[in-house]
Amino acid sequence: MTDPTPSTPPPDVMIRLEGLAKRYPGQSADAVSALSMDIRRGEFVVFVGPSGCGKTTTLRMINRLVEPSAGRIWIDGEDVTDVDPDRLRRRIGYVIQQIGLIPHMTVAQNVGLVPRLLGWDKARIRDRVDELLDLVGLDPAVFRDRYPKQLSGGQQQRVGVARALAGDPPVMLMDEPFGAIDPITRDRLQDEFLKLQERIRKTIVFVTHDIDEALKLGDRIAIFGEGSRLAQFATPLEILSAPADDYVRSFVGSGAAIRRLGLLRVADIPGGGTPPSDGAVRVTEDHTVYAALEKMLESGTDRMVVGGNGRGERSLTLRDLLLAAARAKGEPR
Amino acid sequence: MSAADTVTVEAGAPVRGWALPAIAVTLVAGMFGYLHTAHLDSIEARLLATDEILARTVEHVRLVAASTAAVIVIAVPLGVLLTRRRARLLAAPVLALANAGQAIPSIGVLVLLAILFDVGFAMAVIALVAYAALPVLRNTMIGLRQVDRSVIDAGRGMGMSPLQVLLKIELPLAVPVMIAGIRIALILNVGVATLATYTNAGGLGSLIESGIVFNRMPVLMTGSVLTVALALLVDWLAGLTEQVLRPRGL
Ligand SMILES: Nc1ncnc2c1ncn2[C@@H]1O[C@H](COP(=O)(O)OP(=O)(O)OP(=O)(O)O)[C@@H](O)[C@H]1O
Ligand SMILES: [Mg+2]
Repeated sequence: MTDPTPSTPPPDVMIRLEGLAKRYPGQSADAVSALSMDIRRGEFVVFVGPSGCGKTTTLRMINRLVEPSAGRIWIDGEDVTDVDPDRLRRRIGYVIQQIGLIPHMTVAQNVGLVPRLLGWDKARIRDRVDELLDLVGLDPAVFRDRYPKQLSGGQQQRVGVARALAGDPPVMLMDEPFGAIDPITRDRLQDEFLKLQERIRKTIVFVTHDIDEALKLGDRIAIFGEGSRLAQFATPLEILSAPADDYVRSFVGSGAAIRRLGLLRVADIPGGGTPPSDGAVRVTEDHTVYAALEKMLESGTDRMVVGGNGRGERSLTLRDLLLAAARAKGEPR
Repeated sequence: MSAADTVTVEAGAPVRGWALPAIAVTLVAGMFGYLHTAHLDSIEARLLATDEILARTVEHVRLVAASTAAVIVIAVPLGVLLTRRRARLLAAPVLALANAGQAIPSIGVLVLLAILFDVGFAMAVIALVAYAALPVLRNTMIGLRQVDRSVIDAGRGMGMSPLQVLLKIELPLAVPVMIAGIRIALILNVGVATLATYTNAGGLGSLIESGIVFNRMPVLMTGSVLTVALALLVDWLAGLTEQVLRPRGL
């Protein structure tokens, strides 16, 4: 824009929602009302909240599949509230709640859809498709010519993610992308996706029902109440350590203190003496405190030796862990 | 979906091998065999000369081809228009009207048109189109409506325009149901075209009519058998087309 209005967001803000509201025709209440938030460049933001609280509606207003009743949307410093929606959407990856692979197109055609819309040449599209299938852990030689119905649910969701990444969009909207998958595969997909995000650093808005998924994946989590009331928008550690109100507390559920251990890394714990030689367990700085604690309990010892990450070895006690966990209040991980 | 929409031929019924064309060929061969050996009087001999039979058959096929082509050109775009969001309110009344139209006996439509306007090939085609448009219209609408919303949504979400979504997603996925409707129209037309003789448009119906008028059983039978054989062949060909056009991956 040539004439920046006072509310033009600063450059580190990738998505700004300002007073965003939606009332569907014929409804007496807003599905989303007066929602404002800033999402930073490269940030992984997770929306959680009960069914019907307006998560999907909010997501679909960002790519204008739903036209807002009020409010404005900025993406990458540009007010996109009134731009051509088709062009806008080619710059935003979207993984829809129901996967939505196109059944009469092969995996390669599904993944290559946005690049085709963007007018890439054939060779470039083919390379991109293979690269993306590799990225989401599907062997291109095996999968590129299959049809969606020849894939398992988990494979379909990977293709859905690959397809959303195809045009290399800076922004990704993901609506419960791991929703229909068994817990074990889901856990693995989450881990893979976190690793992937470390490499590609997209700005991601991710919707889930599952608070544990949110705590695991999000840089920040937006917890919604009814009517898209934003109950708290903070880091996982802040939400576990300092829930904004009783609603958030009940939403997070019991065991907040224990779950916090899963967010802390051994590297976050200061101190430690020289390693003793007696039967301590060995962990790395990358282990979560939760995993380290589990190892200690399993082998019935109260000491561990931390190695790796070039820091040299140090030893920590059970007491060090518990004190550190109790102290960690709302620091970023 | 309303109750009216549920009356439809299942999409993608498998082609029953070579049974249909085999039956058709057997029927025709048997008929010619009989005509060859039977003693025909002069009226029968005149009406059943091979040239005559061939001419009537060609007339019939032309009627069916022309009317079915016209039906597709009219009913498919109309069905597409009526399933667009802006025409949502129009869809139900149009279908109801078309359903009511279907209840009028085809001979009535033909005779009415012949009385009101004129006789001849064009008039017969118009009557056939009016009659066979409904199954194509209805199946086009049903075929488009049963396309999974989430697939359309995904297309829109990736930045496909409404037209691109229609051409690349909706129509290919609706093809099996649409072709099932066209198949019904074809079969209907083969049958109803026998009535075209009343508008002086010829066809196999004129054999049947002459058979009745002159009380000549062989003539009546020949017209009927050829109509049945033609219907079987057309149904078989439509089934093959359906298999070829059905998108892969479904
Ligand atoms: N097209 C629509 N027309 C009318 N109301 C709608 C429409 N889509 C959603 N709603 C209503 O808006 C509210 C928010 O719906 P939305 O789909 O955004 O919820 P959600 O948080 O994504 O729920 P879930 O977790 O079940 O996916 C709900 O009350 C829903 O009934
Ligand atoms: Mg939803």
